[in-house]
Amino acid sequence: MNREQMIEELSKIVGKENVLYSETDLLLYGYDASLFKAKPDCIVLPGSTEEVSQIVKFARRESVPVVARGSGTNLSGGTIPAKGGIVLHFSRMNRILEIDIKNQRAVVEPGLFTLTLKNQLARYGYVYQPDPASERVSTFGGNFGENSGGPHCLKYGVTTNHILGAEVVLPDGEAIWVGGKALDHPGYDLTGLLVGSEGTLGIATKLVLRIVPKPEAVKTMLAIYNSLEDAGRTVSAIIAEGIVPATLEMLDKLTIKAVEESIHAGFPLDAEAVLLIEIDGLKDGMERLAERIIEICKENHAREVKAARTEEERAQLWAGRKGAFGAVARLRPNYLVCDGTVPRTKLPEVLTRVMEVGKKYNLPIANVFHAGDGNLHPLILFDERNEEELRKVHLAGSEILKICADAGGTISGEHGIGTEKKKEMLFVFTPKDISAMRKVKRAFDPEDIFNPGKVLPEVQI
Amino acid sequence: MRRTEKLISKMKEMVGEAHLLKDSDRLKSFRIDGKRPKVVIYPATTEEVSKIVAYAFDQTLTIIPMGNGTKIEIGNIPKKVDILLSTQRLNRITDCDCDNLTLTAESGITLREVQKRLAKEGRGYFIPMDPPFTEKATLGGIVATNSSGPRRYMYGTARDLVIGTKAVFPNGDIVVSGGKTVKNVSGYDMSKLLIGSYGTLGILCEMTFKLLPIPEKEATLLIPFVRLEDGDAFVQEIIGSQLLPSSIETLNRSAVRRLNHPVSLPREANYLIAIGLDGVGESIEREISELTERGKKYQSLDPWVLHSEEHQSFWSALRDFAGSLKEGRTSFLSFKSNVLISKGGEVMKSYEEMINQRGMEGAFISRSGNGILYSYLFPGRNLRSKMESLIELIQKLTSEAVKNEGNMIVETAPSILKKRISVWGETRPEYQVMRRLKEQIDPKGIFSPGRFLGGI
Repeated sequence: MNREQMIEELSKIVGKENVLYSETDLLLYGYDASLFKAKPDCIVLPGSTEEVSQIVKFARRESVPVVARGSGTNLSGGTIPAKGGIVLHFSRMNRILEIDIKNQRAVVEPGLFTLTLKNQLARYGYVYQPDPASERVSTFGGNFGENSGGPHCLKYGVTTNHILGAEVVLPDGEAIWVGGKALDHPGYDLTGLLVGSEGTLGIATKLVLRIVPKPEAVKTMLAIYNSLEDAGRTVSAIIAEGIVPATLEMLDKLTIKAVEESIHAGFPLDAEAVLLIEIDGLKDGMERLAERIIEICKENHAREVKAARTEEERAQLWAGRKGAFGAVARLRPNYLVCDGTVPRTKLPEVLTRVMEVGKKYNLPIANVFHAGDGNLHPLILFDERNEEELRKVHLAGSEILKICADAGGTISGEHGIGTEKKKEMLFVFTPKDISAMRKVKRAFDPEDIFNPGKVLPEVQI
Repeated sequence: MRRTEKLISKMKEMVGEAHLLKDSDRLKSFRIDGKRPKVVIYPATTEEVSKIVAYAFDQTLTIIPMGNGTKIEIGNIPKKVDILLSTQRLNRITDCDCDNLTLTAESGITLREVQKRLAKEGRGYFIPMDPPFTEKATLGGIVATNSSGPRRYMYGTARDLVIGTKAVFPNGDIVVSGGKTVKNVSGYDMSKLLIGSYGTLGILCEMTFKLLPIPEKEATLLIPFVRLEDGDAFVQEIIGSQLLPSSIETLNRSAVRRLNHPVSLPREANYLIAIGLDGVGESIEREISELTERGKKYQSLDPWVLHSEEHQSFWSALRDFAGSLKEGRTSFLSFKSNVLISKGGEVMKSYEEMINQRGMEGAFISRSGNGILYSYLFPGRNLRSKMESLIELIQKLTSEAVKNEGNMIVETAPSILKKRISVWGETRPEYQVMRRLKEQIDPKGIFSPGRFLGGI
């Protein structure tokens, strides 16, 4: 079937206005927040589960790939239409279907922005815990596909711990429910398997989320250090003390500089590192815990510890963290963000080795990361117009992931494998592991219609 | 017969004669729903498990994995049991990394033993799980059956706490997923697939759990109520509040009476709400007083508090409710229903009525903060004569759970009854995908065949 026929058929399902195919559109939907690009055949904006189902049935009949996409904030090339085909863009399916306070669940469509739900929940005094840095625009469909993380995952777990069910369109076009509002459905945990499957197994059209009352109290602190190692030691010391904060975030000197130039979060420019620490829960005993944390910071040579006194001060400290990627982007034309994750005790040594990689390739590296859960985000700065740098940046990125894997960690904590890290999957998995995953793929998508060419590398057994 | 002899001699080669059972008398005590295995084998390493499975795959022999067997009764009657693979010798803690808040151990070690070890590390740690069969439950059994306890209200279940697995798949492959990092999105989350899969997809050999520091202080608040409606309204208020109990359980009078603990209800009360609290000392005192005040609004009777030893023994009696019934040789059936959180009270009420109408006794323990209800039914003597009425009752109980967006599993029931009911509740459309997964991963159907839902 040629492209014109395809567009005509798809227009019959969703209406002409909801099929995009101009050259500009094909460029716009051919990239994400990674370094990869490709071109889809067309972009379709479904308005209902039924439409998604019909589109997928059509795609299967014609053997056309289908790639689901939200806001395209993906950092691993997961939304790149690597083999062309249809990009399913969910901007029209963006409603909150239900906020069910009694049962502590929200039911949403996949195109809804994460923060939009949170703002609505705030009116009821409720929260949805995961907080990916891109939450202002990241969609729940994307959070589901990628098993997104965020700073609060240290205490509250990642997206998979907060998605309890979904309506999913399978590669044969059938829509089924997995999980639901109640917990512990008998049978395999298909919800748990689908979360983080990067759009390769099923496309979510409705999601059931766990929501909970907002914590009674929260305390946010900023500790400032003259050495990165001291900041790292503080992280271990806090955990060893038996305190599990809600967040433990670290920013290094280069990041601080970038953040201060663009956001003015109040981070001192001459510091080598800052730690953003937040505890939450019941108000009782919180002051005592905060004081103990401040003591631990000082024992580990923090030169200053500031505690936010008002909600505004807290928001300002957080703005520095949440805007860090954007701020770093001002330093050089491009950056590659690595997502290696290590056992938290290995952080200091891995960090040192990461900086050595930067020196080896002569590329600046800014570090901003979830120190409390061992999730590093070295941002390797470069200019993609410089071919030599482009070549080096991929080598450096891969080398950093190898360091993380060798330290008993993994190659991706929250950004996904996508197109970018397929090769590196073999740093952490044997061909037998991959072959087991391949069986899962075959059980769902024997004809490889959904997001083909992602996640699983080709292996010989 | 020749096939069995060959199997046994092969197994001897793999693990040594001392580590298998083959005498028919001994094998009798390993029957599952009356089906006796041909051999019980005790491998000591994941590699040995892999070899055994590869042989079974080649010969199309069926395997059921088992730890200490505390939950082996759950499931349909197996189609066939050739090899019963015991994980008892896979009992090492392979990596205890408290600074990283993770622990990796083999599947045959008991949770009890792991917790003892963790309590002695540094300032004291624990795996925040409190499933039933405190003394005997192994890590592998807990994870394979997705077993959980009262504290899941605060800490979650295996799907929240297991971050890595090493399992042997039906073709003998050793398959690893996840690892020691709390965040991990590298590849499909195969661990999720294995949790609660009841030995039908893989044999769990090693698992990594998240740890937490042992809380500063713990206590229990027990609040009696005359009416379930009042107790339930109280529970709903607590769930929606900013208070953070670690568990909220509702017990009816029969459950309190049969609890292996001196706690008893005042004469006029019919229900007991037990709230577990843990955290910093200051918060516990405040939570006790605030919960007490809130209870009064709902006509609670006078509450009381349990500390230290009494607190510990209360919760172990509660989670080991089924275990102590078994030891007491009381005949009972047990069901696990999952429903909407807000419907837990209503469903318990209707279950109680249905069971009482039939002149039987029902004990209920509701995990009220999670919408999980455990029911224990005491049918009395002469089970055979009550068969039809029990089948009808189970159907009604299941429908009631389904009506409230859940389902019901029959956990304990005699084989003659199992044959005639749906042990795993009502089949949902997602079953089709589960079946395809099973076919891809276990094409010859050698792992625990027939035991899981829909005959998987």
